[in-house]
Amino acid sequence: MLVTRARFYLLLLLIATMYSAAGIGLLDLTRITKGLGNIGIFVADMFPPDPAALPQVSIAMIETIQIALVGTVIGTVLALPLALLAMPALTTHGVAPVLRFVLAFIRTVPALLWGVLFVVAFGLGPTAGAVAIGLYSAGYLGKLFYELLEGVDPEVVEAVRSVGCSRLQLARYALIPEAANGLLAQLLFMFEYNVRSSSIMGFVGAGGIGYYMLGYIQLLRYDALFTALLVTLAVVLVLDVISNRVRAAFSLRSPASS
Amino acid sequence: MDAPPLSGASAFASGLAVSARNLTFGYAGSLPVLRDVTFTAPQGGITMVLGASGSGKTTLLKLIKGLLHLTNGEMTVLGQTFRAGDRRGLTPDIAYVPQGLGLVRNLTVLENALIGSLSRLPLHNRLLGGFPPALVAEATERLTRVGLGHKLHDKAYNLSGGERQRVAIIRNRMQNPKLILADEFVSQLDPITQTQIMTVVRDRTRSDGVTYIQTTHELDLVPRFADCVWVIRGGVKVLDAPVAKTSVDELERALRGS
Repeated sequence: MLVTRARFYLLLLLIATMYSAAGIGLLDLTRITKGLGNIGIFVADMFPPDPAALPQVSIAMIETIQIALVGTVIGTVLALPLALLAMPALTTHGVAPVLRFVLAFIRTVPALLWGVLFVVAFGLGPTAGAVAIGLYSAGYLGKLFYELLEGVDPEVVEAVRSVGCSRLQLARYALIPEAANGLLAQLLFMFEYNVRSSSIMGFVGAGGIGYYMLGYIQLLRYDALFTALLVTLAVVLVLDVISNRVRAAFSLRSPASS
Repeated sequence: MDAPPLSGASAFASGLAVSARNLTFGYAGSLPVLRDVTFTAPQGGITMVLGASGSGKTTLLKLIKGLLHLTNGEMTVLGQTFRAGDRRGLTPDIAYVPQGLGLVRNLTVLENALIGSLSRLPLHNRLLGGFPPALVAEATERLTRVGLGHKLHDKAYNLSGGERQRVAIIRNRMQNPKLILADEFVSQLDPITQTQIMTVVRDRTRSDGVTYIQTTHELDLVPRFADCVWVIRGGVKVLDAPVAKTSVDELERALRGS
């Protein structure tokens, strides 16, 4: 009985996938073969990476990191108070759901689309990128932060509330310090994520290395594009190592291991 | 005030820190955790609430503190009477120490002790953080007296069980309460440390006139340290007596229900 039902759902999934694949064009064999051939040519053109692009790409990469850094800081500064206000335990009835909705809306719009909107507002360049990254990060971190703050050990919250403190004091002396390691880990993750996301901000004219990536694609300079991708990869790997070190340095030692 | 006996300010004046009548508490849609519990706790003594796990001891403490609200009945705590439906604030004159103590692990020993004083900080410290030098000196002095002078700036997560207990005691002192509610306060400690800490607690109730109510599942603590004892089984009070008028046998029978 269970097996036949599982088979039925599997068959249903298979039919839905085939139907969708046909609609997308994945079952058009001549087209697929041609596409795979093009990828081969494209990959061959990428080698060897063009060292001449390195100076230009490096300067753009620094701008990318600046966008990510400023954007992450703006996002954090906005996210922490928003996350606290999104906690029903800390705010007047009705405020938290409204803020959660606002945070969800900010996240629904992809960072790249915020980039388009802020290019319209601030003009072309990294200013628009940093503001877009900042806003998107606020929505994303806001949710991650309130989830962490809600996960704080209820005994700690009860013990501190019991002394008769204010809500602000409860946040400052119990919620934030108890969640600090998690908050820091999410912050570092967000920075890494933002480096990736600001590297494509240039596609819509919002600054950073993406501007050159798009240019190299349009000029068919795939070897220069490969240089840009390698520089991005190197930066992301270095950031990954650094953030792991920082996280390890700040992590709570569990009672069992001490 | 012409309040009836055993309620309102008259109960406080007559030497009772807590008196409750027909106390009932339950979560909506399930059986009550506590049913029709009536008891009194004299001012300036140690009352122990004896019961097995899940008997409703913790719920009883939270009701007295005001962390939970009565479903039915009436309770007078430090001269103030509460009935079902009353909203109460959490005031510093009633201290609550949860079973896990509720220390903020990422804050230092000194900061955890100062949390006790949060309700009596001047306005600028309430808004901007920090503690007045006089309170810092007081906390330092108290911590030094219990042998934690060399660990003032250690994070709470690095402490041993006995050290954490002492930090909780000092946090409690900084709060300056008239009534202390402690949940399984010494249950996780070895017998020697238990005796040391309970001796400190007893001396304090004798010298300051503070009322102390502690839950426990360990019968042998009762004759050694308590003045009064309540036995709770399955959410119902089965015994309420001065320790001098009861025996270990009687307590054991009440606890087991045989």
